[in-house]
Amino acid sequence: MHPAGCGIGLRAPHVAEVVATRPGIAWLEVHAENYMGGGLAVRSLERLCADYPLSVHGVGLSLGSAEGLDAAHLERLARLVERLQPALISEHLSWSVTGGTYLNHLLPLPYTEEALDVVCRNVTRAQERLGRRLLVENPSGYLRFRHSTIPEVEFLNALARHTGCGLLCDVNNVYVTCANLGGDAAAWLDALAPATVGELHLAGHAVNDADGRTILIDDHGSPVADAVWRLFEHALGRFGTTPTLIEWDTDVPQLAVLLAEAAKAGARLDEASDVVAA
Amino acid sequence: MSSLRELQAGFRAALLAGDERGVAPDVVDDGVNASARLAVYRHHVLTSLTAALEATFPVVCRLVDRRFFGWLADSYVRAHPPAGPCLFEYGADLPEFIAAFPACAPLPWLADVARLEWAMNVALHAPDAVPLEPEALRTLPPATLARLTLHLDPSVTLLASRWPVDAIWDANQAGVDPAPTVDLDAGGAWLEIRRRDGDVVRRALPRAVFAFRAALAEGRALEDAVEGALDADPAFDLAGEIRALLDERLLGC
Repeated sequence: MHPAGCGIGLRAPHVAEVVATRPGIAWLEVHAENYMGGGLAVRSLERLCADYPLSVHGVGLSLGSAEGLDAAHLERLARLVERLQPALISEHLSWSVTGGTYLNHLLPLPYTEEALDVVCRNVTRAQERLGRRLLVENPSGYLRFRHSTIPEVEFLNALARHTGCGLLCDVNNVYVTCANLGGDAAAWLDALAPATVGELHLAGHAVNDADGRTILIDDHGSPVADAVWRLFEHALGRFGTTPTLIEWDTDVPQLAVLLAEAAKAGARLDEASDVVAA
Repeated sequence: MSSLRELQAGFRAALLAGDERGVAPDVVDDGVNASARLAVYRHHVLTSLTAALEATFPVVCRLVDRRFFGWLADSYVRAHPPAGPCLFEYGADLPEFIAAFPACAPLPWLADVARLEWAMNVALHAPDAVPLEPEALRTLPPATLARLTLHLDPSVTLLASRWPVDAIWDANQAGVDPAPTVDLDAGGAWLEIRRRDGDVVRRALPRAVFAFRAALAEGRALEDAVEGALDADPAFDLAGEIRALLDERLLGC
């Protein structure tokens, strides 16, 4: 079963309810690292796989690590993928591991030729081991490096071209990054190679203060912002109907709230598909 | 300009040790300075890992209150950051860290409460294992059996404490109201924590049974484990205990 329409990121507080009530959800995405142990968690998910298309979204592979991928972690991911046979597998354009320490964040890369080589090598290795195409997601940014020479969107296009990977375009991240670091979010989307985009993400962000200036934080803790909905509509105009996901990770609301957000995205996806059909 | 490897090492020092010298010069400072930008990342790393520890050690957190726990967790994260991305595996060293944390010294039982919570976490997430079938032991000659090393189910922890940590844990569950008083001088606990049919279960064991199972868990041969059990109780029933291990599906292949 391949994802279509708008799914939700399945989080621990909702698993039992989804297992018990099987609500109408277009598809589910889970964080790979939450299902790498034994016990009930992964068995519940196996049961859900029969009823819902599944996407496995990694947060810990650290595709941008200069030291290369953690072989043991890649093996665990490969075993999970073999067990669940998800329709989509995705990770991030970021790093979180250095010197064997895991920093539990999607940390920023300098966009240089050196970093592009590192990420291409790591993506290729992951795709070879998994025997599958990865979708790589654009991060939300809070800083830029002086020695970056490649615009982020060009970096992603080059990565897709060199490795054959697809791209997961997180529309909220595009908005947050452009607001924090300068840039036109619509132009960012227009520059992304449309044929590579296999999935879209939507989430809420927080508005904070840093050093006396407004900074947007991609905290996945609120409804999708109006400006991000408008950007999503722009993305659909550019990429066509694309499997879309609502993510909510902090202050996780009732499942019904999440499903209402997914329905809002689903309505926009339907409109976009009508436009294509007409 | 740093190489990517140097930049990442510098970023780690900025996040965990507060030493920004290795990375701040490489960060564009336009309106918001490099320190404030790095602080966004540091805040997420420390608060998300603190939240992961709080999820694994809720009773420890309740016992010391959230503000103290936040300080404890922050200190722990900086000294013992995770080695891998599965956060349900993070926190194995927290009990030892608590035992050595000077501000926790007035609560000498706290480290053992943390050990109990860690054992419950291990039980919840341990890999699924195939239990040993009784026939596998029945066919072995007694001499071979005595030298055998039996593997316990990977979800099992045998935890001995000089404090009544089971009573402390029970008294600190949501819905326990009014909170009962725990007599800290009530004596120790000899506990087995494991997963059974998906659920985490805890029970107190007789001393000899605890000694026997703890020896097996340490990888000791059957005859050595029996010796320890007989020291604890000369009436220890080996045949009955082996049957119990098989019935309880506690032996792994």
